[in-house]
Amino acid sequence: METVTQARGAALAADLRALAEADARLTPMDVLLESACREGLSDDRGFRLLGRLWTLKRAMYYVYGAWAMGLNVNEFPPSVAYLFGKQIYDDSTHEMQYVDEILRRGWAPTQRAAFAHPYCAFVPATRLAYFVFALRALTNYRQNIRIAAFNLGAKVIELAWLERFGRDLPDAGLRALFAGQVAETRSHVLMGRLIVERCVTSAVDEGLARLDQGVVRQNYLFALDEIAAATLGLAEAKGEVVVPKD
Amino acid sequence: MTDPTIAITVDHAACTDCRMCYVVCREIDLNAVYVAPDSRHRLEIDPGRCRYPGCTACLMYCPAPGSIVEVASGRSLVPPPPGVWAPERRIARGAA
Repeated sequence: METVTQARGAALAADLRALAEADARLTPMDVLLESACREGLSDDRGFRLLGRLWTLKRAMYYVYGAWAMGLNVNEFPPSVAYLFGKQIYDDSTHEMQYVDEILRRGWAPTQRAAFAHPYCAFVPATRLAYFVFALRALTNYRQNIRIAAFNLGAKVIELAWLERFGRDLPDAGLRALFAGQVAETRSHVLMGRLIVERCVTSAVDEGLARLDQGVVRQNYLFALDEIAAATLGLAEAKGEVVVPKD
Repeated sequence: MTDPTIAITVDHAACTDCRMCYVVCREIDLNAVYVAPDSRHRLEIDPGRCRYPGCTACLMYCPAPGSIVEVASGRSLVPPPPGVWAPERRIARGAA
């Protein structure tokens, strides 16, 4: 029989996912997709896009490293740690794929050259960095709260635009790359659902999860806005969005 | 002139997906090992970039016997058979 605490987690997971899915219906990445469908994606724009996405995925090592230090012995069932390890591995795979494609297309001759290129630089005074720093700040929360905020927040939004890019991008190679990441990203969302259903059991945790998920969603949408703008070469607000030019 | 190469591939029945081959190949800037762009995300070797037998870096770090093989002969290269690797074949970082 389902307990009261499990019912709390199940309702919360459904609520959080619905909120993020509402955000995901139209994201800044869809503007980019529409542009790519209309006029194609030039090499420069392709490099900008993969460069920024690679930077974001690289930065997740910094986030996950801190979160891992906050996994305490016997605090949650071992499956919570296992699923976290799998998520780190998957995001690492996606990071590798982005730089693979940059190298394969000759946009950078070596990984070190890509690392040093402005399109791939991690710049602190950006929305992308703000998203990353705010995620890392969740180190002070328990894993159930962090996963609720991230996997049922940003990951839901990421899944939506990945599915659309994997289906509609005119470039077959990039389409395959994005489509190939869909299953793993969907599994992260479902990990979030499972962990929230099983491990968010108190009113305090529920409140924190709701609060943090809202912040993560907002920060992620801001980061996507910056990535899309940088890819399209749009004018950027000084001091807020800084992606150096060639 | 570039030495002739022999095509090698990953035997996924033996590979443990530890990704050491990928890391090593990146370190020497050959970038021949890559993540396949499909949902299984297995590692593959690009014959257009791989320099085997001129380079054997991945073979030296692969922990799973039989997981890298010559395409034509099917010969297992893990652990590297005698004569496959020689110190002078080592490619320094940044020299590729």
